[in-house]
Amino acid sequence: MFTKRHIAATAAILVTTALLTAGCSTGSAVESGSKSDDLKGLTGVIGSKDFSEQYILAYMTTDLLNAHGANLTTNTKLVGSANTRQALTNKDFLGYWEYTGTAWITYLGNTAPITDPSAQFTAVAEADLKANDVKWLDPAPLNNTYAFAVRSSEAKKLNVKTLSDVAALPKDQQTFCIESEFSTRDDGWPGLAKAYGIDVPASNVKLLDTGVIYTATQKGSDCNFGEVFQTDGRIKALDLTVMQDDKQFFPVYQGAFTMQNAVFTKYPKIADVMAKLSPLLTTEQMQTLNAKVDVDGEEPADVAKEFLKEKGLI
Amino acid sequence: MTATVALLSPRKARARERTQRILRLVTAPVIVVLAVALLFWWLSTLQLDSIEQRTLNPTYIEARIKEHLLLTFVASLLVAVLAIPAGILAYRTRSRWVRSFFLALGNIGQATPAVGVVILLAIVWQTGFATALVALVAYSFLPVLRNTMVGLEQVGDDVKEAARGMGMTPNQVLRRIELPLASPTILAGLRTALVFAVGTATVATFINAGGLGDMIVNGLKLQRYPVLFTGAVLVAAIAVLIDWLAGVVEDLVRPKGL
Repeated sequence: MFTKRHIAATAAILVTTALLTAGCSTGSAVESGSKSDDLKGLTGVIGSKDFSEQYILAYMTTDLLNAHGANLTTNTKLVGSANTRQALTNKDFLGYWEYTGTAWITYLGNTAPITDPSAQFTAVAEADLKANDVKWLDPAPLNNTYAFAVRSSEAKKLNVKTLSDVAALPKDQQTFCIESEFSTRDDGWPGLAKAYGIDVPASNVKLLDTGVIYTATQKGSDCNFGEVFQTDGRIKALDLTVMQDDKQFFPVYQGAFTMQNAVFTKYPKIADVMAKLSPLLTTEQMQTLNAKVDVDGEEPADVAKEFLKEKGLI
Repeated sequence: MTATVALLSPRKARARERTQRILRLVTAPVIVVLAVALLFWWLSTLQLDSIEQRTLNPTYIEARIKEHLLLTFVASLLVAVLAIPAGILAYRTRSRWVRSFFLALGNIGQATPAVGVVILLAIVWQTGFATALVALVAYSFLPVLRNTMVGLEQVGDDVKEAARGMGMTPNQVLRRIELPLASPTILAGLRTALVFAVGTATVATFINAGGLGDMIVNGLKLQRYPVLFTGAVLVAAIAVLIDWLAGVVEDLVRPKGL
């Protein structure tokens, strides 16, 4: 009985994708075609992964494309990058926002990132189109890469500004909170420790879930330095200071809209419409928008709409 | 069972019981060994990239299994120490309030998702082994509590009356009559708790308490399915083996004549 239970649990993980893609969709209230009718006839679902930035980007995309005549809905119900990606390749999603580094390492199976952002983008876009028929539209400037953050008060006390400073600290101060995923990636802990010559006992490195890392870093009881995402709104809200990656170790995780290539060939004007939005989305802009959701508790859909209106895009 | 025994001659029945017992004894380990062997054979045919190599190596896997087993056993031990006395207390008390209190506690523990408990405790209290233990104990408390209560309740009134008639005090009745007679049910509850704990210990990964959950989450997030699969198969294998081991122990410690 229990063996069945466990096998069932395992199988459940594997088929979640299939089941979850049947999740519900939320309609958008933007007046269709208020800006143009370039995308008339385009229907489908814009997806997202399960964190605020992704929700905001998904709603922005839906509203913007709908303002140009499309009739799209947003689905923000999937959990985990892998499931979202699967929904795109299964053609359940028309598209969603993805990051170059994630696709390169996680989906395309590479282990070493490319340092130059535009070379990385080109490599990902070409490989993904060829292998999976996924089209990458021109990227936004936002770079949601990894970073290490520390309580601002502690940063002053320890007098650290860069990761090289961190590596020069006494070993008992070099304590880190990282995700399990980060602990095995080449562009994660193993590579970082090597690049900066960080050599600490395993007990200095705590493996935590993403959400727990932020509070643990703020408390400072588990670790001084927490692995965070560059665009996260909580960095400012929790008064954390990000350590500069002075050796430029971390790859670029540039955001771009990815979509089914078949739909793109039918509606090539999507690229022109998205090009009105993408250049506005910088790392700082995303931090501000994310903080509205994560810190002020606003709805991602409202934050997205407000931003588009403010920029005159819908 | 009794019907079968009645139809067969005693010797045949005994022989049949013995074969069944042996069969039961060897099936689970054989299946586990086969499954794990198959898993490692499959892994050996794969070209592992550097990300997979960091988890799919003997040192890493051994460390995760040890963490997982330690969590499971310490949690089960704590459950035994806490839930059996709680069950006895709930059984013996006249106060309906105390009974419902313990049962409600067990129900809440079982109904609350363990993932939520560990994350919440990590935020308001601390991360690590102790927090994971609390979540595991809360989750596996109910089966032992329930089985202790049910086991004690089903001891026949005539037996208890006879014991009291022989001059035993209520405590003696509990120790010498009720607990031994209830022990198979209590042990079955512990066995269930152990298996629960094996599965639930996977959430320890979220709060720096290690275990095989590390492999499952890592493989899932990075889409390295050999890693995910190995973690999941090992958890399942441990659950089956522990269930089997608990069954063997159950047979050995069951009071003679039951």
